[in-house]
Amino acid sequence: MNTRILAGALATAAMLAFAAPAFADTDLKIFVSSQHQPDVWRKVLDKYEAENPGVKVAIETGGNTSEAQAQYLNTVMSAKDTNLDVLMLDVIRPAQYAAAGWTSAFEGKDMSVYLPAYVEANTVDGKVVALPAFADAMFLYYRKDLLDKYGITPPKTWDELAAAAKKVAEGEKNPDLQGLSFQGKAIEGAVCTFLLPYWSQGKNLVENGKLTFDHDAAVTALSLWKGFVDDGTAKKNIAEVATDDTRKEFQAGSALFAVNWSYAWTHFQGAESAVKGNVGVTRLPALGSGEQASCLGGWEWGVSAYSTHQDEAKKLVEYLSSEDVSVFMAANGSLLPTYADAYKNDEVLKAVPWFADALQVVETAKARPVTPRYNEVSEVIRTTVNAVLAGVTTPEDGASQIEARLKRILR
Amino acid sequence: MSTTSTLNAASSADRGPPAWTRWLDLGDRALAVVLLAPAAILLALIIVYPVLRLGYTSFFSLSLTSGLPAEFVGLENYSLMLEDPVFWETTWNTVLITLITVPGALLVGLALALLANLPFGVQWPVRLSLLIPWALPLSFAGLIFAWFFHSEYGVVNDVLNRLGFEGIIWFNSPNWAFAAICLTIIWKTSSFMALIILAGLQTIPRSLYEAADVDGAGRVRQFFEITLPLLKPSIVVALIFRTITALQTFDIPYMMTGGGPGTSTATLAMYIHQNTVSFLDLGYGSALAVVMFALSMCVTAVYLRAIRTKE
Repeated sequence: MNTRILAGALATAAMLAFAAPAFADTDLKIFVSSQHQPDVWRKVLDKYEAENPGVKVAIETGGNTSEAQAQYLNTVMSAKDTNLDVLMLDVIRPAQYAAAGWTSAFEGKDMSVYLPAYVEANTVDGKVVALPAFADAMFLYYRKDLLDKYGITPPKTWDELAAAAKKVAEGEKNPDLQGLSFQGKAIEGAVCTFLLPYWSQGKNLVENGKLTFDHDAAVTALSLWKGFVDDGTAKKNIAEVATDDTRKEFQAGSALFAVNWSYAWTHFQGAESAVKGNVGVTRLPALGSGEQASCLGGWEWGVSAYSTHQDEAKKLVEYLSSEDVSVFMAANGSLLPTYADAYKNDEVLKAVPWFADALQVVETAKARPVTPRYNEVSEVIRTTVNAVLAGVTTPEDGASQIEARLKRILR
Repeated sequence: MSTTSTLNAASSADRGPPAWTRWLDLGDRALAVVLLAPAAILLALIIVYPVLRLGYTSFFSLSLTSGLPAEFVGLENYSLMLEDPVFWETTWNTVLITLITVPGALLVGLALALLANLPFGVQWPVRLSLLIPWALPLSFAGLIFAWFFHSEYGVVNDVLNRLGFEGIIWFNSPNWAFAAICLTIIWKTSSFMALIILAGLQTIPRSLYEAADVDGAGRVRQFFEITLPLLKPSIVVALIFRTITALQTFDIPYMMTGGGPGTSTATLAMYIHQNTVSFLDLGYGSALAVVMFALSMCVTAVYLRAIRTKE
């Protein structure tokens, strides 16, 4: 009998010994987009784990474009999967996720600390549905060495850019050097491709939830890009080019100008870059006498409504969207901060000096329409841009198609 | 107690098996039902129920992005479909892919099977090379061929350039993109055709050919009079499988063009995926899927009828 009791006691003790840490620990899983420095986020999480004993945070990544990641997350969330606690979402998605009931709202959060554009992107019907991870906008990257060689100043208009590209092409006689690389593939970036010159004409796509489509401005915008293909400023297969293709081509030294997000800077300054030290970055050009519009990017942290650790997940997100982390990610991952003060931070400016001028671009960048049906809006615009650049559709027909299809979505 | 149980046992022994097992003594029909039940229940759960549920959902307006609960709308999803130009375009693309790649794969597969059936010394390398395209996941094949046809880095344009032709920007033109996709699908699927036809070829007795030789029939005549008629059952089976998978074409165009330029190479399956997974419009997506299901059923019915009239 004694041996039985002893065995029982041992078994119970063993179970408790194994069970105890499992009860004490909270395991959180966060989804980070693979193109936004998950390894640098890991360092932030290591610090958080050290300050919060008992909390373990694992990173999950998957898909290499915003669309691929959205498809993955859509599948996970439609299945009401409890596996993911925190999701990093492209700035265009919090509205959709909130409408679907996939994210939990943050109660009583003071949003005034963030840049206004991100307050807007993360607030749906008066509720804070996500908190900003980092800011972003599109910039014009240029080859400083080549512009200096031909005595050209960075262009302020798209016409100046085309003229500069022509001058350099005639001087360099290098068939592998293209004038301008931008996104023509039917991906999310192509939506911004369309909107940049459209916005530059002072037009908006959506105002107060109503479609305010300007047909002539759309034709002008599509014609600008098609013109670049036809006059040789951009290469003939631009309809195949995605965001990271632009980055790679410029990095390999085969483009004079490139339209891209801020993440490209770190790559251009990296060891594998053929253009290291020869890269300039400035505001995107304007169309004629219009404004120099940029496309607002950035990613947000949402807490999954199906997470079984709501409080812990929200606490983590509060930390990840704090000013300290924003500064750290700017200095170590060249991700633009969501706090205005961080753009003047010495640590940041030492690592990425051009961030000093980036605040103005982020503050004036325009947001893509905020709507739960954004995926449909995006699909209409990007496939049409792609078809126009491939020469399948004329700019006039393309503009009419966008208008007709957007009218059905944004009734 | 003990006496009664002994009595019972004795009496049941007289009447054959014990009383409690009598309900197990089923007729043939009932036995068949019992034996089929596990498989039938499993199929009902994983096939019949989802299909019925799909049809049910197709009568609802159910979009996760609307934030609204599901609402019964009758046939509205179907009437929307009739007015939807993208639905017609993707359906037409699907039919066209089927009409081009099924006969294409049949011809190439038949040729491959005849080659593999030749009396080689070593047969396994031939068989293996037949198996590889079939064993490769569809999306891998799509990615590989997307690189082959890439306008700058692709091997196809490189070969064209070396032969003195100008390279083609394959994915910039609806027709070339469509051609590239069809070539890839034929490459990917003809080995499946070849495998089934090869199995059929090996069941044809050699003696028939020997007799034909004696009668003085040439090679061509032998092919049309002996090989082809005896291969018919294998060919029909291969065609049924291939046609249904062709109607469901998704992976290869998805990986190669994503449906572009514009929507000129998008298939019906891609449009269903877009509506359900990307737009989260489950009602409309279900209605589209019901149409594709009906299309597949029609094709199967036509083939089955073709086989039945032969018998």
